Amino acid sequence: MSTMEPAIVAPEKLAVIPAARWWRGLPTAAAGLVVAVLVAAVAPGHGYTLNIIMQAATYAIGVAGLVVVLGYCGQISLAQAGFLGIGAYVQAILTVHAGVPFLIGTVAAVIVCGIFGLLLGFASLRLGGHYLAMVTISFQVILTLVMTNWIGLTGGPDGVSGIPRPAGLEDGHAYLGLCLVLLVGAVLFTWRLKLSRLGRAMQAVRDNEIAAGTCGIDVFQIKVVAFGISAMLGGLGGALFAGAFSYVSPDQFTFDESIVMLTMALLGGVQSPFGALLGTFTLVILPEWLRFLREAYLAIYGAAVILIMIFLPEGLWGWAAKRLYRRAPVVEGSLPPLPLLSQTAGLAGENALEVDGLAKHFGGLKALDGISFNVRRGSVHALIGPNGSGKTTFLNVISGLYRATSGAVRLANVPMGTLPPHQRTKRGMTRTYQNIRVFRGLTVLENVMIGAERPGNDVRDPAAVVSRALSALDFVGLRHDASLPVGSLPYGHQRYVEIARALAGSPDLLLLDEPAAGLNSTEKQELSELLRRLKGHGLTILVIEHDMKLIEAVADHITVLNFGRCIADGTPREVLSHPEVIAAYLGEPVPA
Amino acid sequence: MNFAQGQFSMLGAYILLVLFVGVGLPYWAAFLASIILMAGFGVLFAGAVYWPLRNRGQLTVIISTIGASILLPNAVLALYGPSPATVPTLFDNPGFMAGSVFVDTQYLSIIAFTILMVILQYLIFEKTMLGKKLQATSQDKEMAAMLGIPVAIMVLITFAYSAALGALAGVLVAPVLFVSVGMGATIALKAFAANIIGGFGSIPGAILGGIIIGLAETLGATYLSTPYKDAYGFIILLLVLLVRPQGLFGELIAEKA
Amino acid sequence: MSLLAIGGLHARYNAGEVLHGLDVTVEEGEIVALLGANGAGKTTTLRSISGLLDNITGKIEFEGKSILGQSPGAIVRAGISHIPEGRRVFPGLTVRENILLGASNRSRLSRATRDTKLEEMLTYFPDLRRLIDALGWTLSGGQLQMVAVARGLMARPRLLLLDEPSLGLAPLIVQQVFRIIADIRARGTTVLLVEQNAHMALSVADRAYVLETGRILVSGKPDVLWNDPQVRAAYLGGLAVVDT
Repeated sequence: MSTMEPAIVAPEKLAVIPAARWWRGLPTAAAGLVVAVLVAAVAPGHGYTLNIIMQAATYAIGVAGLVVVLGYCGQISLAQAGFLGIGAYVQAILTVHAGVPFLIGTVAAVIVCGIFGLLLGFASLRLGGHYLAMVTISFQVILTLVMTNWIGLTGGPDGVSGIPRPAGLEDGHAYLGLCLVLLVGAVLFTWRLKLSRLGRAMQAVRDNEIAAGTCGIDVFQIKVVAFGISAMLGGLGGALFAGAFSYVSPDQFTFDESIVMLTMALLGGVQSPFGALLGTFTLVILPEWLRFLREAYLAIYGAAVILIMIFLPEGLWGWAAKRLYRRAPVVEGSLPPLPLLSQTAGLAGENALEVDGLAKHFGGLKALDGISFNVRRGSVHALIGPNGSGKTTFLNVISGLYRATSGAVRLANVPMGTLPPHQRTKRGMTRTYQNIRVFRGLTVLENVMIGAERPGNDVRDPAAVVSRALSALDFVGLRHDASLPVGSLPYGHQRYVEIARALAGSPDLLLLDEPAAGLNSTEKQELSELLRRLKGHGLTILVIEHDMKLIEAVADHITVLNFGRCIADGTPREVLSHPEVIAAYLGEPVPA
Repeated sequence: MNFAQGQFSMLGAYILLVLFVGVGLPYWAAFLASIILMAGFGVLFAGAVYWPLRNRGQLTVIISTIGASILLPNAVLALYGPSPATVPTLFDNPGFMAGSVFVDTQYLSIIAFTILMVILQYLIFEKTMLGKKLQATSQDKEMAAMLGIPVAIMVLITFAYSAALGALAGVLVAPVLFVSVGMGATIALKAFAANIIGGFGSIPGAILGGIIIGLAETLGATYLSTPYKDAYGFIILLLVLLVRPQGLFGELIAEKA
Repeated sequence: MSLLAIGGLHARYNAGEVLHGLDVTVEEGEIVALLGANGAGKTTTLRSISGLLDNITGKIEFEGKSILGQSPGAIVRAGISHIPEGRRVFPGLTVRENILLGASNRSRLSRATRDTKLEEMLTYFPDLRRLIDALGWTLSGGQLQMVAVARGLMARPRLLLLDEPSLGLAPLIVQQVFRIIADIRARGTTVLLVEQNAHMALSVADRAYVLETGRILVSGKPDVLWNDPQVRAAYLGGLAVVDT
């Protein structure tokens, strides 16, 4: 902890940190707009080349949607062509049959798609992985059937033709310009999304759902929003597609097309809208050069997907970006001290945590068999016991990952009941995990920012979030690694990142699950010092640990579990020389 | 989860076509050859698509098998052209009257083979050590290796078996549907749907799931609206997924904290 | 020649080095115990022997021949059977099927031979007889331990690696399990036992090593170790030693 109190880093300096710059991306976007206008002016006003570019541009918007739901949030969606189709058909039906102006039609398309996207997202409540993929496939297939058979609405297999373009933009150049400008907008939006709080939350859900929950993120809500946004981008692409070709039909938006869009996203790199751009333009233009392979082009798509997954999982852009990656400059100067006590908890009650008769049964197995103890505010409370005694189960029940069979848990006098993990985090509980759950796809700083963004924490604007996160990193001594990908750090340092993430939330109660696991003796020494420093600030900590030296050094109070029951509760001196405790650990018969 | 499973059926049907119609083998010979060849293909598939990615995570494997499910029919399309072909039924006699209902021999064969395969599969998995080793490998791969079970071979056998089974479905169904490159996708999606409805890992469940889908389609087409026939099965699937995702007989697997 | 000789064993996971140069020997007919607190490296040692870890250097010799780097299948065929932590009985298979699969290291066993061996196991573990058709997931901890040991013995090992057999078991069952371990040695199988429960392990072992953070702290005969305060400290830290 720095002992001097010089000027705290001015906000402008913090602007050097990527996430905090509000104007980030705008210069590139402005350049993109210039390119868009140039291309629109220079391209032929009609004919084959124009069609190709328009197709690529409108598709790319839809593929950007895949970047959001699959790349950022990690949810498989095989219905993106379906959303393109919904957007296209809404535009077509409204403009052709109801005479609605193009702009309104576009907005309607986006909204309708958004609603369907949210609905699809609701399916993620109970399902993940291949189940969710099946749901999206079913949705896509049913959609195609409806498009083909609801002739009254959609015109059936013949589709809808004569779709007008917006007034004043009928010219090929002008319409192409519109498409490209909106494409630039979509790319900018998607790109900034990644740097936003919502984007970070999505990536956290992708990388580690459980840890995301205990960082305060409502995982289900985030997935629904991801589907919604991706659908809306599909809708926008579709609405523009309709205007570009003045004709829509069911076979343009089938499951096959969803696969094509997936391939485009994967080829370019599903983590970035630039990847979407690259992949889409490559795969739209490339087949034109490979005309002689026309019949086999889908076969090549299929083979390409397999090969990309094996050899180039990050896509072309991802591969290139890795090589061009440069470390962001380090922010010098001192940072505001990390407020280690929760600012909002009100510090109610003498006990930060009260546990009353807590039981957890797994079928016949009584993992926890009636545990009661209190954790005094401001203390370091250790929970120890032989392997299998129920310590990790206890922590998981307290943090809401398991539902208790019976008993009560109160955090600062507030009963936790059956609250899900993110609600408990909101009320001031943060935790770390025995097997380290960091968000591998994010940088060290971004990981800790997620911790600072804990709902219920007192930071408001992005600059304050960054500042808080840097302070937390400074506290654990990792400030200079802030812009590194978290996976590149040695194991022990990843543990500190996790701790910093938990500290950045200024929790009411910090739960540490075997923080010394996997650390070498030097790192354990550092950890011990870190815990001692935390203790000095009045933070309440409940720590599970096996390393007795560590416990002796930092614990004020120890509770011992054996076979799911408390067998001792008191000061380290009392507990560690207690005959029953010694017996439990060494396996001796309990002294009479 | 193999999204290319349906393509095994399609390939099996095409091999039957090529061997019987093209090369002129007797029907039964072509039938059997198709199944055996597809078993070999299953091994190849495992090596090319699954094995390189076996440690990379569910998402990657799923996407890769999706790629295969696109590659295979389109490769066949490039080689064979888009026109659907026909193959004759297993028996020369197309059917007979039972009371006032026409009983189709091909459908009978399908039912007969299904029963046969269910019995065979039961015998293999429940009564032979190989079946036990396969089950053990799927329940705890590392423990199986520690006992000396050759895990890689078990994986290959599993793929070969599922490819052969897929091919059997393909050659049985081929005379009923047209032999076309799209047949695989339809079969696969419905097969997956049946599996999910019944619950993964449960064979009676899968059979029940298939019956439910078949009934939904037929009843829906008859009483509701025929063009949407394919949709009814999927609607049931969606309902099952939303209400009881583990299916009728399956078990939910939750992540451990 | 020792049955098993480990010299200068270093092992690492992604996390970092976990074993820092272990030297352990096991003579034929012994029960040798590896003790130590959680995280000391005991399980890692067993996993190194049975071929489950890639990143290891040093010497591991069984019957004089190096087995370092061999696959788990090769090692069980060579005569070492590893009964892992947590038992890992196949949940969807019956007790009979689990035990029979233990003979997977020997190919081309006739059905008769297999059945004979199964019968042998059942006389050894009579409690399993009535459970013979029960599925793995229905069994209690103690029953699982018996199934796992029976399964491990089916491989007719010269050396049995037992990882934390007492884990999660009630004290009475633990005693039963350790009687069985003593019996296994009496029947001629050498045992390398990893245990957190020092008391039970020392009651049955001929020799023991105490590990602490990847190194051997002290080794010797049980009665000597039991009175060595370093052992107590290894488990419970310094405060435990103050009152004895």
